[in-house]
Amino acid sequence: MRPARILRILLAAAAAAAFLYYIRGAMPGGGGGTREGVPYEGAKGAPSDDPSYVPQRGGQIIGSSRSQPRSFNRLLVRDQTSDTVIMLLQGRLVRINRATFEVEPWLAEKWDASADGLTYTFYLRPNLTWSDGAPFSSADVVFSLEAALDPKVESVIAHNMMAGGQPIRAEAPDANTVKFTLAGPSGPGVRLFDALPILPKHKLGAALAAGTLAEAWGPATPPSEIVGMGPFVLREYTPGQRLVFDRNPRYWRKDARGQQLPYLDRLVLEIVPEQNAELLRLQAGQTDLTHSELRAEDYVPIRKAEAEGKVRLVELGIGTDPDGFWFCMKPAVKAKDPRFRFVQKREFRQAISHAVDREEFAQTVFLGEAVPTWGPITTGNEPWFSPNVPRYPHDPARARELLKSIGLEDRNGNGVVEDEKGTEARFTVLTQRGITYYETGATVVRDYAKAVGIALDVVALEAPALFARLESCDYDAVYMRALMSDLDPGLSLDYWLSSGDAHLWNLASKTPATEWEKEIDRLMTEQASTIALARRKTIFNDVQRIFAENLPVLYFAAPRLYYGHSVRLRGVVPSVMRPQVLWNADMLSVADGAASKP
Amino acid sequence: MARFLVRRVIFAVLLVFISSSAALFLTRLAPGDLASALGPNPSGAEVAAARARFDLDRPAVEQWGLWMSRALRFDFGESLQYGRPVGPLVVRAAANSAVLGITALAVATLLGIGLGIFTGAQGLSGGLAPVVVRAFSVACLSLPPLVTSLILVFIAARTGWFPLGGMTTPGIVETAWGPWLADVAAHLPLPVIALALPVAATFERLQSQALGETLHLPFVAAASARGVSRRSAILHHAWPVSLRAICAIYGIVIGAVLSGSFVVEYVTAWPGLGRMMYEALRARDIYLVAGCAAMGASFLALGTLAGDLLLVAVDPRVREGVTE
Repeated sequence: MRPARILRILLAAAAAAAFLYYIRGAMPGGGGGTREGVPYEGAKGAPSDDPSYVPQRGGQIIGSSRSQPRSFNRLLVRDQTSDTVIMLLQGRLVRINRATFEVEPWLAEKWDASADGLTYTFYLRPNLTWSDGAPFSSADVVFSLEAALDPKVESVIAHNMMAGGQPIRAEAPDANTVKFTLAGPSGPGVRLFDALPILPKHKLGAALAAGTLAEAWGPATPPSEIVGMGPFVLREYTPGQRLVFDRNPRYWRKDARGQQLPYLDRLVLEIVPEQNAELLRLQAGQTDLTHSELRAEDYVPIRKAEAEGKVRLVELGIGTDPDGFWFCMKPAVKAKDPRFRFVQKREFRQAISHAVDREEFAQTVFLGEAVPTWGPITTGNEPWFSPNVPRYPHDPARARELLKSIGLEDRNGNGVVEDEKGTEARFTVLTQRGITYYETGATVVRDYAKAVGIALDVVALEAPALFARLESCDYDAVYMRALMSDLDPGLSLDYWLSSGDAHLWNLASKTPATEWEKEIDRLMTEQASTIALARRKTIFNDVQRIFAENLPVLYFAAPRLYYGHSVRLRGVVPSVMRPQVLWNADMLSVADGAASKP
Repeated sequence: MARFLVRRVIFAVLLVFISSSAALFLTRLAPGDLASALGPNPSGAEVAAARARFDLDRPAVEQWGLWMSRALRFDFGESLQYGRPVGPLVVRAAANSAVLGITALAVATLLGIGLGIFTGAQGLSGGLAPVVVRAFSVACLSLPPLVTSLILVFIAARTGWFPLGGMTTPGIVETAWGPWLADVAAHLPLPVIALALPVAATFERLQSQALGETLHLPFVAAASARGVSRRSAILHHAWPVSLRAICAIYGIVIGAVLSGSFVVEYVTAWPGLGRMMYEALRARDIYLVAGCAAMGASFLALGTLAGDLLLVAVDPRVREGVTE
């Protein structure tokens, strides 16, 4: 046989084998044969917004996620996608209602706190079961805390499970009672336990004992192995494509009519990394939910789509994490930089604050959908917002006065102020590439600063490069959004304390660099260990005042957030916190529930 | 022939080795690493633990050595984004890219060569039709795939004629093979057109010019003198000879198309190798980048081999050189 003929036969055989392999691998469920199923039929048009609408059982919704879950084990991850997925799968003793910010009973139906705030006793709902049918008991709660605090697990929530500098201890007097003992009082109190995912001892006990819990429930874990107390169970995870959740038939919660929750039979999260593609799909009726709030530039097209009856737009409220602008002020890194002499003076930062017209900033960057803000706590975080902080009205003349008071004047007439040694106030501002409101915001700040003689050059970097610069303080200034760990300041100590990993301008400092930071450290330590709410508020108001006087981070506007979802979706209780809609997934339903039943 | 195949295999192994190593080094040397993917405010200990897990706390050469020693045992490391072994992820994405690439290649080949024969046979004085085809080809060659993809997605969004993107309809979870294949086929037109148009235009231009030149060679005139019809002289005498120009670039085109187009796959949300590599690069998912580069290089090597074999098949002079 001729070599060319042999090659042709071999190539044909290889092509056939590859095709068969592909077909087997790419088929949903690995091509395990014919199965029944009805495709999703898309949005069918909205019924009227009838307040008497009664939620129906059944149907499925399709949401989107912009990234993959990194783990199904909440002890190991804190990224948004993983957190959302785990919220669907797992339960907690108590839940912070994302709409009211109040603590609600969840797996625990009630609790007692001792007068000294050192003991919390939780009473579990009776006769609950895990999604695999195993009984749920206080032993699972004790196990969950042990797992969170086990050094081998290196849990990301371990620091939340500390009070008075010591780990919280748990004991189970009986199958339905758990008693937590704290070494010192904790300001957030029972809110601490919203962060503790309740894990099944019967599934993960052996892994904890063997020291392998840190590897458990990774993304490659078969869905059937992941057991929870949440409203849904994982049915399928196709990396890069989608996650499919089915209703947990053993979910404990019922609605006011006694109807078993969740209403939905199925929830699908398609992985769509690109936000424009995500919005196109929403407008085309291919998805019901998006990953997060809309960007300012999306307001107009989505409003138009709403007018055409294609989507529903809901206002979430004022965002709780405004974009910030700050300089690196780490003495160990910047001591030899001659510009550090004036950057570390608060008058310099106050001058920039005076230079910016916040009303106009809100108009330009957020197309009017924002309110001026003066500190990291916005009106969106109502319980902790303090209106009585120093404010810096738009006043370029005052800004120039402040600069002059610290020796910065335009001595050579080039439009940029210098100190007496000729060091110009010229800085590079880093921001994240591809996020329009960061790039626009940084540019607007640059223009205002230029008007008072401060030169800012804006450079947009990809996220990994930007984070590497932030970590090593290898930057002059940054404009971006830094997320607070929690709305309760007592749970955001990483931002407020000088030793914190989110103390933006001087990350994880061994000692406070300034007197005012030392004072904030003292106040926040007291705030986090004070039980009386009124006292906590008073202390935190002081902290906000000191912060606004010194302006280590400048804030200009807090956006008013909007969220778009399909018109068929019902039961939406929007929240400014992420996930804005899926936090309440067990109450979501679809208007055409039975018709779109999977 | 055996020596030819051995040379090709050695070339393929070297190409895969160099591409994956270069990808690993370049990703490692690019500013930033996985810290940005750990969620808001990761602690120093958290970042250090993640770096240790992915050997990012070691010097680049040591990390490469460890990776290479594992890769020789077909363990290409773990993806940071997906938390899974790189091998199966890349194979799956490559299969998706192959489906898209083979379809696009088939469309481009049929369209490009067919139109190339038409315009080549008509010559410069063939009327309006060849001029229109040539103009369309030049337009397709001038349009970057990004623009073509965006235009197609826009048309799909406005008209609803095609799905907006992805490989299957969102929400279809369980279905039989037949409907599933039909669903995939329904999602193919958009990325296939975006990918195939510039390739088809290239083929059309090459084929047209090669055929035009071949038609002026003496053996075609001799065939006509023997009474062979013009149609037969073009299709059976001139065209096979003119195919050499296409075959010379076909291998590279196969490799390029099969290894995934960053732009087309990203814009049309096709879950292929190009999109996976782009996302891996953005996330500094170092082992996934290296794995995607290795798979892309394998496709390129395979494509070059296929192109050479095609050349062997159409050109007796090359065949004699290979089989000597």
